[in-house]
Amino acid sequence: MLNEIFIKPFADMVAAPDFLMQVLWEGLVSGILYALIALGFVLIFRSSRIFNFAQGIMVVFAALTLVGLYEMGVPAWICVLLTLGVMFVLAVVIERVVLRPLVGQPDIILFMATIGITLFLIGLGEIIFGGENEVMITEELGIPTGDTVLEPFGGLLILQHLDITVVVVATLLVIALLAFLNYTQMGRAIRALGDDHQAALSVGISLQTVWVLVWFIAGIIALVTGIAWGARAGVSFALEVIAYKALPVLMLGGLESITGAIIGGLMIGILEKLFEIYWGQPLLGGNTETWFAFVLALIVLLFRPQGLFGERIIERV
Amino acid sequence: MKHFSKLAIATVVAGITAGSAMAQELYTPNLSYRTGPFAATGIPLMNGQADYMAMLNARDGGIGGIKVNFEECETGYSTEKGAECYEKTKDRAIVTQPWSTGITLQVLPKTNIDEIPILAPGYGFSPMMDGKTFQWAFNTPAGYWDAADMIVQYLEGMESLEGKKIAFLHLDHPYGKEPIPLFEQMAEEKGFELVPIPVGLKEMQNQSAQWLQIRRERPDYVVMWGWGAMNAGAITEAVKTKFPMENMIGVWWASHDADLRIVGEDGKGYKAISWSFPNPDAPVMADLKTHVVDTGMTQSNPEEMSGVFYNRGLIISAILAEGIRVAQEHAGKPDISPSDLRWGLENIDMTPERISELGLDGMVPPFKTTCADHTGGSGGWMLEWDGAKFVQVSDHLVPNTEAYAALVSEKAKEYAEANAPWPVNETCEM
Repeated sequence: MLNEIFIKPFADMVAAPDFLMQVLWEGLVSGILYALIALGFVLIFRSSRIFNFAQGIMVVFAALTLVGLYEMGVPAWICVLLTLGVMFVLAVVIERVVLRPLVGQPDIILFMATIGITLFLIGLGEIIFGGENEVMITEELGIPTGDTVLEPFGGLLILQHLDITVVVVATLLVIALLAFLNYTQMGRAIRALGDDHQAALSVGISLQTVWVLVWFIAGIIALVTGIAWGARAGVSFALEVIAYKALPVLMLGGLESITGAIIGGLMIGILEKLFEIYWGQPLLGGNTETWFAFVLALIVLLFRPQGLFGERIIERV
Repeated sequence: MKHFSKLAIATVVAGITAGSAMAQELYTPNLSYRTGPFAATGIPLMNGQADYMAMLNARDGGIGGIKVNFEECETGYSTEKGAECYEKTKDRAIVTQPWSTGITLQVLPKTNIDEIPILAPGYGFSPMMDGKTFQWAFNTPAGYWDAADMIVQYLEGMESLEGKKIAFLHLDHPYGKEPIPLFEQMAEEKGFELVPIPVGLKEMQNQSAQWLQIRRERPDYVVMWGWGAMNAGAITEAVKTKFPMENMIGVWWASHDADLRIVGEDGKGYKAISWSFPNPDAPVMADLKTHVVDTGMTQSNPEEMSGVFYNRGLIISAILAEGIRVAQEHAGKPDISPSDLRWGLENIDMTPERISELGLDGMVPPFKTTCADHTGGSGGWMLEWDGAKFVQVSDHLVPNTEAYAALVSEKAKEYAEANAPWPVNETCEM
């Protein structure tokens, strides 16, 4: 047994380095996608202390809107712009109808409100789009769908062009987001609200504007995530489930840290894939991805309750 | 007092009206799932079921002159909600249609007490075939073990499975695990290696780890017990990893046209065993058009109506309707009880002639149920995706039920003992 745990997995990695590279690549792609979803949560939490339960259904709603508009005969790229418009309107409506009346309420009330938003969007989405599995308009958006086959170490490494595009787009999106938060006035306002609500309000930062903005940015992230995941297995309400994959990322990286979301996502994506392939499948019958990330996050929380990159909260009593 | 008298009269009138209304309908609730992660596969099935019953109501005035009340109770494929729906509908129901193996297992012990037949066509607990033990449960016309046997038969028709490796890609859920005991038995008997590969509910759309395992194991065949988004996820991963599609075979719940449309031409060669098949030229389709489509009663659309799942929904309702007819004839009255329906479902004889009379030519193989055999052994056909639609690529396959009759009895006995006291139908001769 000790050999199976401590020797064989590493021997397998050395024996088939091309396969190891494939595992790492698949982990990286999954990790980037987890990080993207987690970013949506972090942005909203930083600026409003709301844990946005609706992030998953926003992914479904954005993807279904995009595909639904295309089916109505609208050109693909116009669909993207219109979907962004829909996500902006959604952000305004959520701020105006749900969040604004609840300003000053305990965090749990705001969290419950996002559960309400989730249920509303599920119902609205099903009324408008139905529950059928739709095909993502991958080719129509100009996203390459072929693959590149490499032969490292005389083996086989398949790189899907779709996955390469996802990695590039997600990386660019993260860089743009970081630049926006660090170098623009509005970005600094979001960070200021995250650091200290009262202080930010006292210097004239508009809570309403910032909330609309962060929910809109979360909507943009939802659209990119929806396109990336939808291109893999179609667009349906099953996409909502993938939002749960972001929870251990948030536990690991910290709810307030953008860096934590990115590094946490990548860590979980790669480590869960390595564990599943080299330990989970041979020793535990597989499907360890369902729980591995949570166990990893719990171990981290034992030593750093605020997560790897979360802020340590010290309260006077 | 005057108001009180009016209220009392109104209550009595309402009671009589409701009572007579209840007596004048066949209440056949369907524990449907048009929402949630499995909605994409549920909707066409539910539409097919509902449309067939709507057609009977419109064309024939129901069954035996009584309208069918085909009410749906939404479960979202959740076992907890399914159990609630069962409780909510059981008082008036003559049958329950649980629509998930998890819900079926949950309500199975309750139906013994409530004495309501469970109709689970093509799903549920495979040993439900043993009608003596599972006297209220029916997985007519074929069960999962029939599917597993027919898939292995089909593969053996091409080459011996001795020394071959079969990866069993399945949903990590009671449904996905259901055929494992029989596959293990067959692996031992026929000398092939079985590699079970579970897919978690949260991993349905990202099966890269499972397909990396398939790449590492290099199986000769992949047999898939998928559902909902898992099927589309698996088929896209198979294409991505360049697994030969002709060596991938799914169970009947992995034969949804919409899942295959995602990969289109790349999915060419993928196969699935099925006990139903669409036949647009069957007379029933013309009747559906006249009485349901043209009258605006359907929730379906032409694309969905040409697919395997919608047509399977039609067959499922046709099986229930046939059970009701047989029960009405036996009971000598149209207003049957759940016990009458149980008798009806135990005595369906769907001969080729009867299939033709019902206008279902080519849509379902013949089958016959008895009190001892609640499945009926319809067998099925192997379907293949040709890039645009499923086509039949085999003759009628019949499961070799003798080969696993002992396993059925053993598992049925185990279940009865684990849930003792478990009543059995002593009057039924096996």
